[in-house]
Amino acid sequence: MPDSRRDFLRGFAAVTVGAAAVAPAGAAPTPQAAVSPDKTPRWAMVVDVAKCIGCQSCTVSCIYENAVPEDSFRTIVSTYEVQEGDRAAMVMLPRLCNHCADAPCIPVCPVGATFQRADGIVVVDADRCVGCAYCVQACPYDARFVNHGTQKADKCTFCAHRVEAGLLPACVESCVGGARIFGDLDDPKSTVSKLVAKGDAKVLKPELGTRPHVFYLGLDDRLTGKVEGEPTLWHPTGRETHA
Amino acid sequence: MTILEVVNVSRDVTWLPWAVQYFFLVGLSVAGFLLSLPGLAFGARSQRGFGRNALIGALACGLVAPVALLADLHQPGRFWRFYTNPNLGSWMAWGAFFIPCYVGGLLAYAWAALRGDLAAAGQGDDLVSRLRRLIAAGGAPAPRLTKILAGWTVVFGLLILLYTGMETMVVRARPLWNTPILPLQFAATAFTGAAGLTLLIARLRGDTTHAGDAVAARAMTAALLATIALGLAWFALGIFGLSDIHARALASVAGHRAWQVTAVWAAAATALPLLLLWLRPPGWAWLVGLLGLHAAWMFRWTVFIGGQTVPKTGAGLYVYQLPLGHDGLLGIGGSLGLWLFVFVLITTLLPDPVASRVRPALAPAE
Ligand code: SF4
Ligand code: SF4
Repeated sequence: MPDSRRDFLRGFAAVTVGAAAVAPAGAAPTPQAAVSPDKTPRWAMVVDVAKCIGCQSCTVSCIYENAVPEDSFRTIVSTYEVQEGDRAAMVMLPRLCNHCADAPCIPVCPVGATFQRADGIVVVDADRCVGCAYCVQACPYDARFVNHGTQKADKCTFCAHRVEAGLLPACVESCVGGARIFGDLDDPKSTVSKLVAKGDAKVLKPELGTRPHVFYLGLDDRLTGKVEGEPTLWHPTGRETHA
Repeated sequence: MTILEVVNVSRDVTWLPWAVQYFFLVGLSVAGFLLSLPGLAFGARSQRGFGRNALIGALACGLVAPVALLADLHQPGRFWRFYTNPNLGSWMAWGAFFIPCYVGGLLAYAWAALRGDLAAAGQGDDLVSRLRRLIAAGGAPAPRLTKILAGWTVVFGLLILLYTGMETMVVRARPLWNTPILPLQFAATAFTGAAGLTLLIARLRGDTTHAGDAVAARAMTAALLATIALGLAWFALGIFGLSDIHARALASVAGHRAWQVTAVWAAAATALPLLLLWLRPPGWAWLVGLLGLHAAWMFRWTVFIGGQTVPKTGAGLYVYQLPLGHDGLLGIGGSLGLWLFVFVLITTLLPDPVASRVRPALAPAE
């Protein structure tokens, strides 16, 4: 299956541009096709932070793909300037919903609108959500928000609509550096399961026991939790206020 | 190693000032109701006037609180889903059942406790008197019924305190909320606010008595001392690293100047009314009443709005500026306006305090 945009493009070479709008069934195995019909996949993502160049293509393509309203993000690449001694480097950390196996956003929902599908994707039933924002509070990763347009809880869905159509999530497909790799963690042949099986992939805030299904390669331990750093440069007032 | 955050997301506050209003009003209501019990349900005659004022506060707050809660939902028209699709693993879902049981119980208890007063005052031929007679439905004292309804309301009032505290406390994602002391702090500050509100209501109704003021002062002193004890325990557990949870809670805010200012403010908001209660200068009751309300409101504002400005993954604090519209200042003003309307309604219906003092015959007998 096409686990990242590069793999995908390799298989895509023989397909016409017009066919890009539909599942490229003839060109490459789709995420679904890579899974045996009687077995539900467990979708997961591996992010190789060394390959991320911080271009925010994923951020923008997600906004367009999912009609994310202004000032909100389902995914964003947190960017840090890290200085150690006389060396400085930019570090990128793409963030999105982790589709946690033990997701704290699910049990708090008073009306059961947030739930986990059999394939591991955590979704919000927009017809049921009352917009109480309890899930927004409960997510330890600030991955959720209340959509100003729909007034309902919103978050990354791993582009479930695309995955069901045999496509990659928009952020994976648009990733310039090939840093985002998507696939079935239950399929031992998939790239994600091979990378995770190596044992050096990290997750964010592992101490909370949420069992995230977004894994990071090459991530410094000091960035896996709440990042203790100087706040963002574009702070509107440059002041800290809350009261 | 130094880390400079160059790009990151900033998340909006999603539990709006409406939520602060709800937790404030419902806390005041339950505490006010509990304070009314000795005078109205358990026959402590010297506390009857105080109990009546506490109950008026409890009623006004209890009737407005659910409106504020509804307004905090981003989809208020879907509130019925709380009843058709409850997820009983969520404290919030339980709250949806506790609220009507509590408010219903409170109304019934108020009716049973005050119907004697209403009947006695409803002897005239004017519209209000006729309405009073109608509501009193006879008006014979019903101490047993009052006690039964008080019992029901105590259960659901305590469940309201429990669920509001637990709902916030279980959020592990926010270390500031995730301490077992938080529900107790909510309760202690609710009693401070309710005692303060009762002092103010007594003055607004022209129903001040030394005995009533003394009860309010005692209740508020106890609540303020409890708040201080809880605050010190919270701080000590965190600063001395005696409890991981508290250390995390303290660490999540301690380094920020805005929170240091908040801590000083909170200490002053607790110490000042205590000092005034001790010295009792002229006009102390007005001031202490307002300061009591301030302590209860400010605690909730700090926990909810302040708590949501602490990023879960990013550095620094998110910026919050109070919007002027319905999700900000207008919401706060609107809920206070609604409170005032309900208060005027209740006090218009209830007999004039002086009249009810000279007509004690219809007060429920023990
Ligand atoms: S990252 Fe947050 S929103 Fe996503 S599943 Fe985990 S807890 Fe839920
Ligand atoms: S905002 Fe919607 S999905 Fe989130 S907890 Fe409330 S009802 Fe559930």
